[in-house]
Amino acid sequence: MAGTIRAQYPATIRPIRINCTGRVTPSLMMRAIGKGADGIIVAG
Amino acid sequence: MLESARTPGFNIYTYSEVEDVSGFVGNFKVKIRKKARYVNNDCNGCGACFEVCPAYGYDEFNEGMNPRKAIYVAFTQAVPSMAQIDMTKCIKCGLCQGVCELKAIDFNQEDEIVEVEVGSIIVATGWDEYEPETGYLGYNVYPNVITQMKLERILAPNGPTVGHLTRPSDGKRPKKILFIQCVGSRDLNRQTYCSAGVCCMISIKNTKLIKQHYPDTDITVAYMDIRAAGKDYEEYFTASRKEGIKYIRTNISKIHEDPQTHNLKVILQNTLINTGLKEFEYDLVVLSCAMVPAIGVEKIGRILKLENSQDGFFKEFHSRLNPIDTKIPGIVLAGVSQGPKSIAESIAQGRAAASSLARLMGKDKYRILLIRATVDKEKCAKCGLCELNCPYDAIKTNPDGAEVNEILCRGCGSCLANCPSEAITLRYYREPQYEKQIDAILEEI
Repeated sequence: MAGTIRAQYPATIRPIRINCTGRVTPSLMMRAIGKGADGIIVAG
Repeated sequence: MLESARTPGFNIYTYSEVEDVSGFVGNFKVKIRKKARYVNNDCNGCGACFEVCPAYGYDEFNEGMNPRKAIYVAFTQAVPSMAQIDMTKCIKCGLCQGVCELKAIDFNQEDEIVEVEVGSIIVATGWDEYEPETGYLGYNVYPNVITQMKLERILAPNGPTVGHLTRPSDGKRPKKILFIQCVGSRDLNRQTYCSAGVCCMISIKNTKLIKQHYPDTDITVAYMDIRAAGKDYEEYFTASRKEGIKYIRTNISKIHEDPQTHNLKVILQNTLINTGLKEFEYDLVVLSCAMVPAIGVEKIGRILKLENSQDGFFKEFHSRLNPIDTKIPGIVLAGVSQGPKSIAESIAQGRAAASSLARLMGKDKYRILLIRATVDKEKCAKCGLCELNCPYDAIKTNPDGAEVNEILCRGCGSCLANCPSEAITLRYYREPQYEKQIDAILEEI
């Protein structure tokens, strides 16, 4: 979405495509935080 | 309509409501409530009963402008042409039973539930005219402020005045008429959308119609923008202007009435040439109201699990690329159920909907994507959380473990995110795949 409207966003944001926001499990989020991510945006 | 009714294999349920829909594409089960007409199928619409009926109600087809009997046919061309009784008005005198030669009147009739099996569903619920709140632009307060639909019935040859243009307060022919566009539409406090130029074109049509019948009528259209976008529409608009109809770009906030004559006083300003505020007097004011989703359409939306757009119309699969399908396979939209549109566009969408379903139903097989949830029945604790969280009703908890209906499942993964025993996986989108992605991304930093 940010790409299609040509919005600028920091290069340190890395998108992961998910089928549906309902698919996001707490364990995936905890894993990302645990591995050193500063934050997670769940967008749909 | 009549031709369809006569085609074998075509079942039309009028005066009926859909109560429940279950199943999936190819195998829908629909429960239809046939409301009691208190007249059985022997009726041939002869009308002998209307003449003897002593009770009156308002004719809904003519916007309540003339009376009708308690036993009536919905409107002249109704299919099937069958009488029905309005039980809120009926006094149960039984006179109609006496004159009916076919013995078709049955006061003990009850609502009937019919169950039909269908392969696919077209939602064509249409629209209703937006009813302004009482007092807005004098609506419901001043008798000579009417809506476009009422004018439409007044001008109709089978309407309450048999096609003669009269105004409600005194039955005289109005000499000065004002049409107000965008009532309730393009308004941040009411409907924000434009009704796709339909109200503009209806106004242009009616101004032309009145001008042709009564050339001495002074007609003004107060508009924001005339949206004559479509084939031949702009030419139609130009023709109407050439006939002497005045178009004033303005925004009217208030209408006053002269209590003696019931004429309406409007203060307006032409914003294109900046004439300043001037007061004008009109005999009749016609409000061109927005198109809104048909009243009661939320119920069928709930039954079919359809999504709504912000404006209240049903949401299509994609507003530009696929305006016909819904998110649910086998259910498609046609006409204004999806958004305001003209008759020509509604026909185009209706035919597109029918042919897309014919293509779908013509095959014996239905192809699905493999991105579907699968259940490991050994891990499943039968807690039922997946069933509770599935937005598509695709997963059921059976005694031997949860079971996914692969046709209903859309592969969203809500079930597996909620599964406490991690028994559900989504093909192509499994947990380890995401874990690896997260690990790889975070390694770089």
